[in-house]
This record gives sequence, structure tokens and C-alpha cells, in this order.
Amino acid sequence: MIYYLPSIQNDKSGYEALAALAQEAKPLIGDELELDFSRCGFFAANMAAPLGAVLNAIESDFNTVGIVNVPDFIEIILRKNDFLKNYGYEPLEDSNQTTIPYRRIQLADSTRFEGFIKKHLRGKGIPSMTEGFGAVFKRKLYEVFENAVIHSRSEIGVCVCGQFFPNKQKLDITIADAGIGIRQNVRRHLNHPRLSSVAAITWAVEEGHSTKTGPHPGGLGLKFLKDFTLKNRGCIQIVSRMGFYEFANGVESCTKMAADLPGTVINIEINTGDSATYELAEEISPDDIF
Amino acid sequence: MDEPLLAKVTAIVGGSLCVSAADGQKVYDKIAPLMEKGRPVILSFQGVETLISAFLNAAVGQLYGKFSEASIRELLSVQDMSQEDLATLKRVVENAKRYFANKPAYDAAWKGEVGDDEE
Repeated sequence: MIYYLPSIQNDKSGYEALAALAQEAKPLIGDELELDFSRCGFFAANMAAPLGAVLNAIESDFNTVGIVNVPDFIEIILRKNDFLKNYGYEPLEDSNQTTIPYRRIQLADSTRFEGFIKKHLRGKGIPSMTEGFGAVFKRKLYEVFENAVIHSRSEIGVCVCGQFFPNKQKLDITIADAGIGIRQNVRRHLNHPRLSSVAAITWAVEEGHSTKTGPHPGGLGLKFLKDFTLKNRGCIQIVSRMGFYEFANGVESCTKMAADLPGTVINIEINTGDSATYELAEEISPDDIF
Repeated sequence: MDEPLLAKVTAIVGGSLCVSAADGQKVYDKIAPLMEKGRPVILSFQGVETLISAFLNAAVGQLYGKFSEASIRELLSVQDMSQEDLATLKRVVENAKRYFANKPAYDAAWKGEVGDDEE
């Protein structure tokens, strides 16, 4: 099968295009997919993570995936971030140090994720990010990864990729899995077999809501991420199955996708020019916790 | 009352990163049996580099499913935590109290939400 990939922006249309690819390729088993980039006029580098998750899932059905006719300017970006290395292209050195390379990480290998984040957030053209801010941001990323470990049941692990845009003072990091998605988790948890993706995501982002079974509570990770993003004037996108959620400038929206994207993608866009302090307004005493 | 035992988190999880629920469970498994016997425990976070809520939910939050608030106040204390980590812990504890006080309602609250049959 030949599939012509359209332009992939870092927005709902980009995720819908990847969902359309996943849907088209779903019937393939023991087949070949040739992903043709000749009609792709733009590819947001961090979107390599959800594209990787889609392609890994296709390959896990005994299919072979090839990538062809990549326009030069896109090929350079996707070789610099190591994405195309998986499809037979030579990697290119990232001399500007603006990429957070594409990696596929198994869920059981969480220490690799921590090592990866530590290594690639350091320096990398993010001079205005203070050390304190960097530590806070890393914690949010670990929360997101742990969410995938707890909830996704993704057999292919998670795909991570990011891109720094120095002129815009923005850094995007995207974590994608090809697991069961938020909808299935929430449907099972609430015993509500017809709950939509939009309703499921809306439920999941509420403070204290978690589908985690077992004796310990959950449901704070996304709340912390929202608080952080609000203060940082950044943006979060959560895409799972037929739902697209966005939180930007304190406003959240959740809308239905045109196609079904397997698993869950979380994209965090931070404002690296943030000069806000992340110190707490009031002192907390260890004697006043329990 | 017995002397409190000092439980060093880094020694229990084998490192300075407290970023997984599985490692939080290790801490819970160490301290809960002691608390059950009425032994006070001090959790020391000395040397912890990064701490997240998923870890604390497992290590501390689930104690509220087994012990009363009064018992936890009496038997558990923490030390060597940054202000940021204390703030996270406080949110985890507040969330756990709400969760265990009202568990069935939490799960049922959205049960009537309108959905669509997108499949």
C-alpha cells in the first residue's frame, strides 16, 4: 500500500492526518506500507513521536514500513532528530542543538526515560530556562511518562520527540503511546461502555479523577501539569482515539476528531522565556502535612 | 511509645529518583507493616533528586485506605524535603483523604455523562 502523507502541523489537523493513516493501514497484516512524503509540505518535528507510534503499531502487525520521497528540508529535520534512522536514513548532526531526538522507550525501562530527559534538556539552546524552572518541568514530564506506564498498556512502549524553536521561545515535547487510550480506561472504570472519547478525556483531566485500580489514589499528574502550563503560558494537547483536548491561556477545549488515533498522545509546549518564579507563596511545614 | 524508625527513601528505592508508582509501592510495603504494629516512622527524603505525585500516591496516599488520619498523624512524619516536594506531598495527602472518604461517589459521579456511540 502506498500512502501519501499530507503536511503535519502541530495541531488538530496534524493529529487527524496521522489518525487517517492509522485507520487506512489498519487492515494490513504481513503487508508493505510505503509512506510517501511527496505531498507533505511541512512536518512539525515533534510530531515524529505520534507518527512513530502509528508506524510501530503497523509494523507490529508483521508489516514492513518504508519512507520515501521526503522533501530535503523535511528530511534534514527528521534525520537530525534520528526519526528517519529507523527507516534506513543516515542521522545528521544537530549542530544548532534544537532537537530532542526521537526515541522509542519500553514502559518497563522508565530509568531510560529519565536519563533521556536529563541528557537532552540540558543546554540544547534553552539558555533562558532557569535551573529551577527546568527541574519543575522535568517533574511534569516524569508524571506524564508514569501516566503512560500506569494506564496505557502499550505493547510497543512510548515514542518521545521534541523540538525547540529559539525564535518563538517555545519547546514542544511529545509523548505518544499506542496503548488502549483514555476512552477505554474511563469506560471500564465508570462502567459506561458508550462514553465518547471527548467525555472520557474531559473526565480524566479533572483533579482527583483517575482510572487507576488498586488501593492507592491517583489523578494529580494532569492537574499539576495544567497548573504549571497556566503559569508558564504554555499549552497542553491530549489526543486519544476520537478526542482532541487543548489547554492554552487558561482555556480548555475538547472536540471530536475526524478519525480515530489509537493510544494517547500528550504534547507539552512550554514558554522557555518564562521568567516567573516557581517558588511557593507560603512556607509549608513538614509538621502540617498529615 | 517506641522510638521512631528512620526510613531512608533513597535506600528503599535504590536511587535518587522517585518517579514511579512501583518504587512508591516499595516504600509503602516497608512502612505500612511497621505502622500496623504501632511503630512510628520518619520518612527521610535526603538525597532525593526528583519526586512526583505518582510515587507519593503509592508510598503515602494509600496509607489513608488502611489507617485513620489520627493514626497517620501520630505515626508518620517526614524530613529532608524541599518546599516544592512538601507542596506535592500535601496535595497528595489532601487528594487521598478525599478519595478514601468518598470513594464510591468519586467513581459514580460521572456515570450518567452523556456519551456518543462513536464505534
